[in-house]
Formats: sequence, structure tokens, C-alpha cells
Amino acid sequence: MAVEALRLDGVTRRFGAVTALHGASLVVAPGEFVTLLGPSGCGKTTLLNLVAGFQTPDEGEIFLGGESVTRVPVWKRDIGMVFQSYALFPHMNVAENVAYGLRARGMPKVEAMGRVAEALRMVRLSGLEDRRPRQLSGGQQQRAALARALVIRPRILLLDEPFSALDRALRGGLQVEVREIQRAAGVATLFVTHDQHEALAMSDRIAVMSGGRIHQVGTPEEVYARPADRFVAGFVGDATVLRGRLRGLMGGTAGIEVGQAVLEADAAPLRGLSQGAPVDAFLRPETLSPGGPALLSGEVRSVVFQGGHVDVHLACAEAAGGRAVARLAPMLASGLAAGSVLELAGPSRCAAFPAEEPA
Amino acid sequence: MAGEKSTALGQGAPGLLRGLALPAWLCGLAFAAALLAVFQYALRAHVPGELEPGGFTLQNFVAQAHPLYIGVFWDTLLLCAGTAILSLLAGYPLAWAILRTRSRLARSMILAIVITPLFLGEIVRTYGWIVVLGNSGFLNAALAWLGLGRAEMLFTTGGVLAALVHVTLPIVVIMLAAGLAHIEPELERAAQSLGATPARGFFTVTLPLSLPGILAAGTTAFAWTFSAFATPQLVGGGKVNMISNLVYQLGFASFNFPFAAALAVSGLALTAVSLAALSLVTRRVEQRL
Repeated sequence: MAVEALRLDGVTRRFGAVTALHGASLVVAPGEFVTLLGPSGCGKTTLLNLVAGFQTPDEGEIFLGGESVTRVPVWKRDIGMVFQSYALFPHMNVAENVAYGLRARGMPKVEAMGRVAEALRMVRLSGLEDRRPRQLSGGQQQRAALARALVIRPRILLLDEPFSALDRALRGGLQVEVREIQRAAGVATLFVTHDQHEALAMSDRIAVMSGGRIHQVGTPEEVYARPADRFVAGFVGDATVLRGRLRGLMGGTAGIEVGQAVLEADAAPLRGLSQGAPVDAFLRPETLSPGGPALLSGEVRSVVFQGGHVDVHLACAEAAGGRAVARLAPMLASGLAAGSVLELAGPSRCAAFPAEEPA
Repeated sequence: MAGEKSTALGQGAPGLLRGLALPAWLCGLAFAAALLAVFQYALRAHVPGELEPGGFTLQNFVAQAHPLYIGVFWDTLLLCAGTAILSLLAGYPLAWAILRTRSRLARSMILAIVITPLFLGEIVRTYGWIVVLGNSGFLNAALAWLGLGRAEMLFTTGGVLAALVHVTLPIVVIMLAAGLAHIEPELERAAQSLGATPARGFFTVTLPLSLPGILAAGTTAFAWTFSAFATPQLVGGGKVNMISNLVYQLGFASFNFPFAAALAVSGLALTAVSLAALSLVTRRVEQRL
């Protein structure tokens, strides 16, 4: 059995009175792409900095390739990091930038240049060796930073919001490209982002974080379809929240009464609740469809064309916050206009959690 | 960059700028006239016993070839270079600390200590140094208390150098901090993430990127020190002479205005040549960055 690339055991980090990270535990398998997803201030950057070694944990242990690095300084950890600003050295050309980590390890220049050429081929920057970073486009800078991090064959690749500085139009293509390069290099990767779309699109697994805690670790499908708690359900993907009552628990499945309808949900988050207790049902927009039996209805506020689908926003008294959103095929949404009333049928299964305040 | 900025300003407020052009020209004319007066004195003969100089001569410049004057020029250049180098060495860590410290208190304290000398007059500062360096001054008292005996510090080149560094340090720190502020902290972190020790990261990334700021601050310190007068006059006590002290002695003790003016013109030319050489180096460095 291969050793895990990264293991965090109950890592806690405090800044004065503030605890930025509460006993985080996480394992990244060799070659795996794991994303830390959460809003700003959730502790994801702190976690990344702890793995990199820019900070030291107050409690807990960090292992890279099975070896404890908790007290090892950054420059001895064999990590590869791509920074938010890329942090390419402006006084060096692309080749010198990529060679930096090899030279710091004492590799002779000739040998280093061979490895640099190989790395630049991998990120498709061959021929740009002599350019200065500022002569490169944003996407090229990112690939140069990636080559610089990968050429040292790091034990883990750390990506700190590497797409946030790029145009939206560029991001999609680069996400696919970064993932392909990462897969080809076979390097375990920890990726930090606050963008759920990026996380869902790129990850093998996602660790959803908030308030310094890891709320759930799972594949994108798991995190989206079976969120572990309210925070994950609300943060990853859009949702319409309806108040209902717990009808009963049967094995792993709970029955939820919402109005006249009965929905099924994962029982785990509802264990310990008594029958009839108020619960909140989280409905994904694509699980709502026009027609009956109506689970909810409301006046159309806006119809947003998104190309492949249409987002219909409704004013809906039953839903939390008074708003509901349905994602419809453009065909189904044709003829809908602001002001018309729409009835929506729900799914048979949803995610449900104990109600936040008593109904 | 600066050119673009001024055009943009010119387009933004043409009326205001045109209104300021006349006073600016008048000031410029006044300054040029003063400088021209010095130039014409330098080219006229000294008549002993007379304040009014005589006819045209190049003698004032020829006479400067004397080893005595060449020595003072040379000492001045050395003192300027020494001051620039020492204030860079002292100022770099201070500028760095101002930029990188997380403690607001520490930043304010360093700034206060570094900047305060700017608000004290040169004379006050210089007398401060006399108190510190004097035979029964603070440093000698401390040395004696430690049982190390006394050292001659006042009226020595070392003493003048220390006082000159104190004078230039605020400017150097401010200029260095402005230059260093352009260096992203992430670059140092990137170097470390790539396996460079903090020292290697400093010498391969931070220091090369600080070179433009170092050269600008060093050039300014050099030129600034060239015109130093009160500090070498009082701390040097006539034993350590810079060009300005020589100009003063010739002008106001010997009343040889033409020769004093010629020395001043030569000093100005020497400064200009030194600055041109430094700016050539700076341009080379900036092209490589």
C-alpha cells in the first residue's frame, strides 16, 4: 500500500485569542487532487500555510510521505507551491525562474537546464525560455509558476487560489489544463479556493471549511448531493430551503413532510430528532420542474438565461428568505416572464437538516 | 512613466499649469542668475585687499591642481562615498523592518527614531554629536567606565563620518523603504518554498530587486553629503575638511571670492560627473530588471 502523500492529524492553529484552525484532520492520497473550499476567513489559507511550513501548528502533526514535517522549515519540505500572484521572480527569465528550485538544491546548471526544458514542454511554454515574466500573458505566467513548482518533483503541490487573478473567460480552459498537467505529473495536490464551481469541476475530493473547521470531506458528487450539514448544503451549489416536519426515520432514510408532499432525505443529520420536529429541506434548483403536484409556487421575479439552462427566480412565501430558484431547460422556460405565477414539482429526495430556529 | 503622468496632468488642468508657469520661470531665472554670478566670479582674478575681482583669468582653476586642494577633493569624495555606503548598510535593515514588521508600535517607533533627525536643525544635531564624541563626552565616559581608556573621536574623520551618516540616514531610509515596498513579500515565500534558505532567498531575490532603490538612495546620500558644511566644520574642527569648508575659509577668512567660486564650480562639476556615472549604472541595472 502506498503511503499517503499528506496527513494532517488534529492540527490546530491559534492567532492570539482567535483559533484559525480547530483540530483539522485530512489525508491526501498519492496523485490525488484535494480542494479546500470555503469562504474567506474559513481557515483554508491557514491550513495551506501550515502544510507549506510558513506557519507552525499549535497542536497536531503534519506528515508528508509518511514523515513528520511539523517542525521542518519550508525550504526543507520539498513542496511545490503556486501563489495567488504567481510570485515569479521579475528579474529572471522563464528558464531561470523554473531552474530556481533545482539550483537551490545544488543541481549543476547543465542538468538543471535539461529538467527545465522538460518541465516547460509539459506546460507548453517551450520557446519562451528567455522571456521575462512581465512579457507573458496571465495564463502563461500561471503555467510558468506551475512548471517552477513541478520541476523539483515535490512531495505535494500546493495551489493558492491560482485562478483568481485571471479573466473569467480564461479560467475554464486553464482549470482543465492544470488538472491535465497535475495528472500527468502524478503529484498529490492541495488546492485552495473560495469558488465552488472551480472546486466541483477540478477535485477528486473536496474539504468544505468554515469557521476554522472542516465540515465535510467527499467527492464533488457527495458534497453536492449529500451535504453533511447546513453550511455545506448552503455553500456548495444553490438551494431553495423549505420548512417541513420529520415524519419518521427508517434505516438510513428519513421521511420529511413539506406541505402536502413527502420527501426522502439522508437520515444521518436528523438522528435524535423526535417525530414532528421542524426540519429544513434543501432543494437543488435542477431538481425542481414546472408542473404538479406543486411543492411550491410563486411569482416569477426574473428569468436569467445561462446558455444551456435558464435560472428562474421566484418570490415564494414558504421558502426561507422568501425566494426560490429553479434551473430549467430553455425549452421549459420559454414564455415565462417576470410577474407570471409558476408552480414547481419537487424531487423525491433532498437534503434535510434540523431547523435553525423553532417554527 | 513620469512623462506620461505629467502629460496627463497637463491635459487635466491646463489653466492651472499655465498660471503657474510664469512664477516657475521667474524662480528659475533667479536661481540661474545666482549660479551665473558664481561662474563669472570663478573666471576673474583676485585682487588682494579688494572685494571687487579683477579681469578674466583661468588661474583660479589652474591653482586647484595643487596637492592640497586635490587632497580635499579626494577626501570629500571618500567621505561622500563612505557616508553613502554606511547609511545604506544602516538604513537597509531599518527600511526592511518598517515595511515587514507586523507590529504597528514597532513600525511607529522605528519611523520616529529615523525621521526625527530631519526635524532637528543641522546645527543642533551636530552639537549633539560633539557631546557624544567629545573627550569627556558620552562615548568616552562609557569607554572609561568599561576600563577601555579614552579614544580620540571628535575632530577625526571617523567622527565626521558618524555625524554625516546620521544626517543622511532619514533620507536613505525613506528612499529605501519606497523602493523595497515594490517587492512583493510573496517572492521571498516563493524562494523558500522552492528550497532556498532565507539567506539564499535574500541574496538571489530580495537584494537584486532592491538594487534600483539602493542605487537611488545611495546616489542621493552621496550628492547630499557633498554639500555638507556645518557637520564637517563643527565635528571636524578644521582638521577634517570638505570642499564646502574650504570654500568658506577662502571666501570668508581670506576674502578670495574668485578662488572660492572656482572651487565651488569644480565641486559642482565633480558632483555632476559622479551623479552621471551613478545614473549610468542605475540605468544598466534597471534594464536588467
